[in-house]
Amino acid sequence: MSHRQFIAAAGFFLLSFAVPLVVHSDYTLQILFRVFLFAALGLAWNLVGGYAGQLSLGHAAYFGVGAYGLALLSKVGIPPWLSLFLGVGLAVISAAIIGLVSFRLRGPYFALCTIAFAEVVRLVAKNLPDVTGGDVGTQVPLLFTESSIKSFYISGVLLTGLAFVLTAWIERSKFGYYLMAIREDEDTAMSVGVNTSRVKLWSLLISAALTAIGGALYASLFLFIVPDQVMSLDMSVEIAIVPMLGGAGTLFGPVIGSIVLETAAEIFKNIFQEAHLLIYGVLVVMVVIFLPEGIAGTIANKLRLFKKAPAGSLAAPVPVRPEEEAERTAFRK
Amino acid sequence: MVLLEAKHVSKRFGGLKAVNDVSFAVSRGEITFIVGPNGAGKTTLFNLITGVVHPDSGSIYFQDQDITKLAPDQAAKLGIGRTFQIVKPLRNLTVLENVMLGAFLRTSKPAQAEEEARGILTFLQMEKFLHLPARGMGLPMLKRLEIARALATQPKLILLDEVVAGLPTVEAIKLAMLLKRLPEWGISAIGGIEHVMQVVMKIADRVIVIDRGVLIAEGKPQEVVDRPEVIEAYLGPKYKEIGL
Ligand SMILES: Nc1ncnc2c1ncn2[C@@H]1O[C@H](COP(=O)(O)OP(=O)(O)O)[C@@H](O)[C@H]1O
Ligand SMILES: [Mg+2]
Repeated sequence: MSHRQFIAAAGFFLLSFAVPLVVHSDYTLQILFRVFLFAALGLAWNLVGGYAGQLSLGHAAYFGVGAYGLALLSKVGIPPWLSLFLGVGLAVISAAIIGLVSFRLRGPYFALCTIAFAEVVRLVAKNLPDVTGGDVGTQVPLLFTESSIKSFYISGVLLTGLAFVLTAWIERSKFGYYLMAIREDEDTAMSVGVNTSRVKLWSLLISAALTAIGGALYASLFLFIVPDQVMSLDMSVEIAIVPMLGGAGTLFGPVIGSIVLETAAEIFKNIFQEAHLLIYGVLVVMVVIFLPEGIAGTIANKLRLFKKAPAGSLAAPVPVRPEEEAERTAFRK
Repeated sequence: MVLLEAKHVSKRFGGLKAVNDVSFAVSRGEITFIVGPNGAGKTTLFNLITGVVHPDSGSIYFQDQDITKLAPDQAAKLGIGRTFQIVKPLRNLTVLENVMLGAFLRTSKPAQAEEEARGILTFLQMEKFLHLPARGMGLPMLKRLEIARALATQPKLILLDEVVAGLPTVEAIKLAMLLKRLPEWGISAIGGIEHVMQVVMKIADRVIVIDRGVLIAEGKPQEVVDRPEVIEAYLGPKYKEIGL
């Protein structure tokens, strides 16, 4: 992260904390909570799907386990915040199991495997009514004594801040380089000593933990959850699309993606009513076609091209110097 | 002193014996070249040594340790570096970052990895390209990048899979001059090179010839190329091919 980016990020988060001082509408704060929630989920997904390039389409599993962990553990008398953290632990355990199996597969087979696992988790939740309440759903305790949306909004900003700082740190660390190497070429990564299975698994565990916290916050805001909502394929897809739209494998991408996608979704819902999903779909397709590296990725590339590499230098031929010419002659003898 | 030793190593792919009962040893500080026609099994031999594939029979020792069943990352940790014949750069990372990746095997500090990577890129005369993405590089620089990344892991043995073949003559010779200096870095090297016999003759201490998976000759470069079976299997047809 450059100096300028750091100032931009710090300014953004400070302003975000101040928002409830000026914005009092519960409706607006709820939308803003959603923006930050999905920014955090997108940042979490980005570690696995963006930096490590492993297209997970099953993050609803961790989101759902976080949500249900909070709900079900508090039901047996465990305090809500403790339930939340135990739920995060359960999500990390699920991620370990899912990762150990699905990371054996590459490319589209990996993606399919993650979908299958998330579906298994959803179906288990649906079909254990005695434990989970099944399709009827279950109640979720409030995490904050004051039931105001403000607390949720602030915790959304905090979660995004946590995921952002973690990502910024990872991006500049050996671990971050290893993730990117795995995305670029797994064989190359292994050839320089990267234990790719272990590195991928670690990224998934961190990602699942953050995702589960998001699931618990979401559940607590709505006070009631059903499997088809918090563990749906729709949820998995939305968690993946936010960072892809903003720029997978970039630090700012998931935040930008969430701001664009969540506000657009809300506006479309109000204007187009039933047709909003169609418009939303078209928007996503357009972005994938015209900005394949996402919004942040495209901007970064433009800037880099202007700054660092003068035109034509990318494939600069190697000039032959006189002393090399001499070497060459010596070699021929 | 023996660094690497292969004992009766065999590997088949379906019905094809890609490597057939091959035994050889490489000593410290020695540059050995494996030559042989396309499809002879040179790359497979490298894949066997680096744990990308495992032999059906036979065993491989590195510094007297059995490495026959190791995974590629474990082989790298022990000190075996390699390049890929079909170059495998990290396309969206810069040249410097590509080499830093190798340096991270021996350090966790990005600043130190960067410093080491810069040193190696300077040795390979690539300092002009540090901040350019690897995807924009031409083949000569990508071949050097393969070497740089492997060197950054501070290997004791480096396996160079046709890093010279396919390059324009000038570039091939310049690179060969650099390869000759690898022992200065405390590195023993094995190159698998075809076509560029001129290079092999100049820089190899020893040459191993394989043909259809079988080791058919081994020795000093000049001795080996004079043997009739080598001329028959490899040099002869090759020379006819290019009209000599
Ligand atoms: N992973 C693999 N699966 C199946 N066949 C392979 C594999 N790797 C190499 N081969 C085959 O083994 C033979 C030797 O290939 P290779 O070692 O690449 O030869 P060289 O490097 O000497 O040109 C070839 O016929 C090749 O097609
Ligand atoms: Mg080969």
